[in-house]
Amino acid sequence: MNTIRLSVISLALSTLLMGSVTQIQAASGDDITVYSSRKEHLIQPLFEQFTNQTGIEVNYLTGSGGDLIERLKLEGPNTPADMFMTVDAGDLWYAGTQNIFQSVNTETIKSNIPSYLRDPKGLWTGLSVRARTIVYSTERVNPSQLSTYSDLASSNWNKKLCLRTSKKIYTKSLVASIIHNQGEEKASQVISGWVGNLAAVPNAKDSHVMNAIIAGQCDVGLVNTYYYGQLIEKTPEAPVKLFWANQETTGVHVNVSGAGVTTHASNPSGATQLLEWLSSAEAQAIYGSLNKEYPANQNIDSDKIVSSWGSFKQDKMNLSIAGILQADAVKLMQRLGYK
Amino acid sequence: MKEIFFKSNIWVGALALAIALPIFVVGSAWLLPGTDLWSHFAQTLLPELVSSTIILLIGVGIGVSVLGTVLAYLVVMVDFPGRAWLEWALFLPFAIPAYVLAFVYLGVFDYSGYVQVWLREYLGIPGFDIRSGHWAIILTFVLVFYPYVYMMARASFKRQKIQMIEAGKMLGAKPLRVFWRISVPLARPAIAAGLLVTLMETLADFGVVSLFNYSTFTTAIYSAWGDFRSIEVAAQLASLLVVVSFFLIYFERKARGKAKYYSSDVSNIKAYYAKGLKGWLIFLFVFGVFMLSFAMPLFQILIWSAEVFTLEWSDRYFDYFASSGILTISATALIVLIATILALPSRRKSESKTLQLLIRFSTLGYALPGSVMAVGLLYGVQNISLISIYFGGSSINHILFGSVALLLFAYVSRFMAIAYNSTSASSEQIKPVYGQSAKLLGASRLRLIQKVYLPMMMPGIIAGGLLVAVDVMKELPATYLLRPFGWDTLAIRVFELSSEGLYERAAIPALIMVVFGAIIMLIFNKLDSEKY
Repeated sequence: MNTIRLSVISLALSTLLMGSVTQIQAASGDDITVYSSRKEHLIQPLFEQFTNQTGIEVNYLTGSGGDLIERLKLEGPNTPADMFMTVDAGDLWYAGTQNIFQSVNTETIKSNIPSYLRDPKGLWTGLSVRARTIVYSTERVNPSQLSTYSDLASSNWNKKLCLRTSKKIYTKSLVASIIHNQGEEKASQVISGWVGNLAAVPNAKDSHVMNAIIAGQCDVGLVNTYYYGQLIEKTPEAPVKLFWANQETTGVHVNVSGAGVTTHASNPSGATQLLEWLSSAEAQAIYGSLNKEYPANQNIDSDKIVSSWGSFKQDKMNLSIAGILQADAVKLMQRLGYK
Repeated sequence: MKEIFFKSNIWVGALALAIALPIFVVGSAWLLPGTDLWSHFAQTLLPELVSSTIILLIGVGIGVSVLGTVLAYLVVMVDFPGRAWLEWALFLPFAIPAYVLAFVYLGVFDYSGYVQVWLREYLGIPGFDIRSGHWAIILTFVLVFYPYVYMMARASFKRQKIQMIEAGKMLGAKPLRVFWRISVPLARPAIAAGLLVTLMETLADFGVVSLFNYSTFTTAIYSAWGDFRSIEVAAQLASLLVVVSFFLIYFERKARGKAKYYSSDVSNIKAYYAKGLKGWLIFLFVFGVFMLSFAMPLFQILIWSAEVFTLEWSDRYFDYFASSGILTISATALIVLIATILALPSRRKSESKTLQLLIRFSTLGYALPGSVMAVGLLYGVQNISLISIYFGGSSINHILFGSVALLLFAYVSRFMAIAYNSTSASSEQIKPVYGQSAKLLGASRLRLIQKVYLPMMMPGIIAGGLLVAVDVMKELPATYLLRPFGWDTLAIRVFELSSEGLYERAAIPALIMVVFGAIIMLIFNKLDSEKY
């Protein structure tokens, strides 16, 4: 009995020790530490490349955006994080309001990334562009029937629309952009029209939306284009296509994934160097192609599959607005029963 | 002697209080000023989610009670073809994380899944959305949680005196009547205990409900936090879950009543023999449950894994596996140790109402969504830091955040209910006479615990430990927020890939988890069958 007890205690103690040791490692030297809500399989190859070129190690911790912002706030000046990376303009904007970022305005970043994809004060920088647009069944829809996001609220699409849940941040930012572009009253007509046209309970994932269209549960939906890219890569013959929304009006709603240097970074110069590198043509080519997103750096071409979808007009609304209006967007959707 | 008891009570009380820390932090959110978010929720989300939470709890509750009890009764009391291997195979679904089962079911049974495609093409049955309404999600929860009730009810049936059932048979009672009037009432405490754990877990679930886009209390909690960045309202809502669980525990205690069946005799004589068609029908039913809840999902995961193995497999998997393994083993050891201390029989003798209440509090963390518990813990540490700074000390945030210690603490708070349920159940079966005779023989308290209580509680300790191990391995939200650098677990890999819709790739870490969970369940079964 005693040996069991001893081993239990020593095991517990040794894990405690290990925990504090890893903590120290994470914060030491010239290393850069990144908190990221962009998933591991999308950032690890990039960091590896950066380390190969510069010799600087990058430690990272993935997590959900909201969780990590909370952790950064509580860690305050003692945070090990030098950089915070996340996947939605609303989260970036919110992190900016919580004094998590310091402003970085280097010429390299300014020349690499267009201004509407950056925070006006330089708190964060967009690193990839994610377009959210219409996807339709090539078997049942003629693209001439399609035009705008708002048009999906018209009675033509009754019981033919599939949408992703309003809980997903991409939906929230899109609705925020509709509120910004068309005003709250028009936006609420659009949302209630969408809800009335739904063929199924809103889906948990963009991939489910496209599966539903392929299976014939609905004819049109809204997705981020890289999910379409994943699908087409796997099943090139899938009878679905992208349609660029709002080309005659405001342009396709785009969101960003991006990053900023933290206020209390212990290695701000390293973090800035990493951020500049991430905005460079070389890194941008990997960054985008890993996930079939659009590069934020406009000087380079998209991945082959991605460029085959053609070019389109983007909504140039400054993305901070998506953050500012997000709470209004959620309230609107919850009021109108968009689950 | 009395003094020592008194002192040890204080220590145990303090321990229980510490474990309940996240609960108190979450509850203290009510001290913060209210916001208008409540009125917004009251007008929008709350009416629907209150009713759908109630429907879900009732549906899942009835489902797991009936399915778990019937299955347990069949494998214990009835001899039918395949009984021996199905008895342990029915434990296996416990090894599949609920969110994995949910995405497999959606992939197979939703409108675009094979089953409905087949039904449409060959039988012309129109497609339907399984996520609308309540039945599909209830069924998913039932299939993933029935092992809790099955496990408890089975142990209880095994201890029922065969004579009582024989007496019932001699009096001419039909099998169904014996089941309903004798076996079930005797097993009621065990069924209630399994049901309690199921309902607490259903209340706290976020993974399954978000895949089905079903509204429960956690929907509002995550909306308050994720959509409106209001941790206060999220914590206030979460504390309501704790209150609900408190009542559930109360009712479970009530259902248990004064029933304490001091019996450890086990007989392996079967009360009924089902031969021929009847036997095969029973086999089909039990086998069907096994297929649906374990074999089919496993098969799907295997197919997916095979499709993308070369793409997804890397050396990183050794790290994921090591992190999962170390966390699971150390957390389990710690939780079981504490649960054993809390449940020692000597505690009951000197039981004070306050101590009992504190111990109950320490098990309530199971009803909190893991993410809320984790943030509660961060704020708890923050408050301690603030107090320390006030007295001229320094902040301890950076020492504890991202340490294994804090993560282990979270596991202890979250899974105490599972371990305690099990250790206390075995402790309650120790007849008071053992303690009394040990005292008469002049044995010290330590010796009494070492030589008498611990060996007698061992089955409960082991059972609790193995259940906790599977739960820790599957745990996602608290690990995701609190883990140290480089401690990514298999569960985190599953989540990161599946949240991007990459289910095929997510199947590989899921498969490893299921295999290890299954091995743990088989060890459990082995030890369990030695016990009988």
